[in-house]
Amino acid sequence: MHELSIATAIVESVLEFVEKKGASKVLAIRLAVGELSCVEPEQLRFCISSITEETPMENSALEIEKIDAEVLCPHCSYSGRPKYWEDALSSGPVATLQCPQCGKAAQASQGEDCCIRTIKYVA
Amino acid sequence: MNSFTIETLEAAPDEIYDIELEHSLLEANAKLSRDNRALLDRHGIVAIDFMGAIGSGKTTLITRLVEKLKTGVAVFNGDATTGADADAIAKQGVPVVQIATVNGCHLDANLVGKALRKIDLGGLKLIFIENIGNLICPAEFPLGSKARVVVVSVTEGPWMVRKHPHMFLGAAIVVINKTDLAEAMEVSVEELANDVHKLKPDIRVIPTSCKTGAGLDEVTAALLAV
Repeated sequence: MHELSIATAIVESVLEFVEKKGASKVLAIRLAVGELSCVEPEQLRFCISSITEETPMENSALEIEKIDAEVLCPHCSYSGRPKYWEDALSSGPVATLQCPQCGKAAQASQGEDCCIRTIKYVA
Repeated sequence: MNSFTIETLEAAPDEIYDIELEHSLLEANAKLSRDNRALLDRHGIVAIDFMGAIGSGKTTLITRLVEKLKTGVAVFNGDATTGADADAIAKQGVPVVQIATVNGCHLDANLVGKALRKIDLGGLKLIFIENIGNLICPAEFPLGSKARVVVVSVTEGPWMVRKHPHMFLGAAIVVINKTDLAEAMEVSVEELANDVHKLKPDIRVIPTSCKTGAGLDEVTAALLAV
């Protein structure tokens, strides 16, 4: 349940932000969750709603946008979407760090982070 | 509808603000992990983070490695509630800090930073950090270690790598433990190694048995070369 740690970080950041701005109510927040992060959007949504009751964030809209994974290969300079492991048992294909072009080890260049993109609030 | 819609209608357009924030949620931990790393670098210490399921053999592996290294090593032992693992390792006569996360499912850089302030860093070359027995959450929280080791054991069945791909993407070394039981478990060490390399071809895979001692010298050498 590391979603709860991340939800707490989100709520603390947003509440600190609105307090500084003197805002009365948060209308919406937009999050971006990387494909390579281990954050499960539905659990995150549940955790946020559970801890925002009776705060300026209560009932605010929550939009979660996915950030696609991208990799960079130090061997052949490939840059772009990763190679997917299609039949790895999981419900969907699994992003790997095997270069889709040369097969050697690539590095993640996008999709590891989880961030708050925007906050919409009433002054 | 919820009150959010009503509030939107009531607020005059010049009272609603839509602010771009781009505030990273993992950055606070990432910054502390860089601070830990800088502190370790200043003392010439390499920290290694051990991750793996409960029962994969992390504590036993660390105990065997400490036996081989004897000095210059300290161990941070993450455990949700008990000090059992820390007690086992402390018998080797090396500094041990137990990090109790209570209900937390992972160690974070803040807890490791506190542990670093609890011991005398002089004379240390290596710090082994044993993470909580959990193969999902710790992947997201770098601690300041120079390399991550993931320990899987054949007793966890043939699909451990496929079930937890995220954990392996950040690993430098994967130890496949309890190989003495592979035949009885009908689990192929080679197939587990192939699965690791499908996720990232440059991960060093070392099969070990803490019971027979197989592979332990290779792990020790790999850690000293990190």
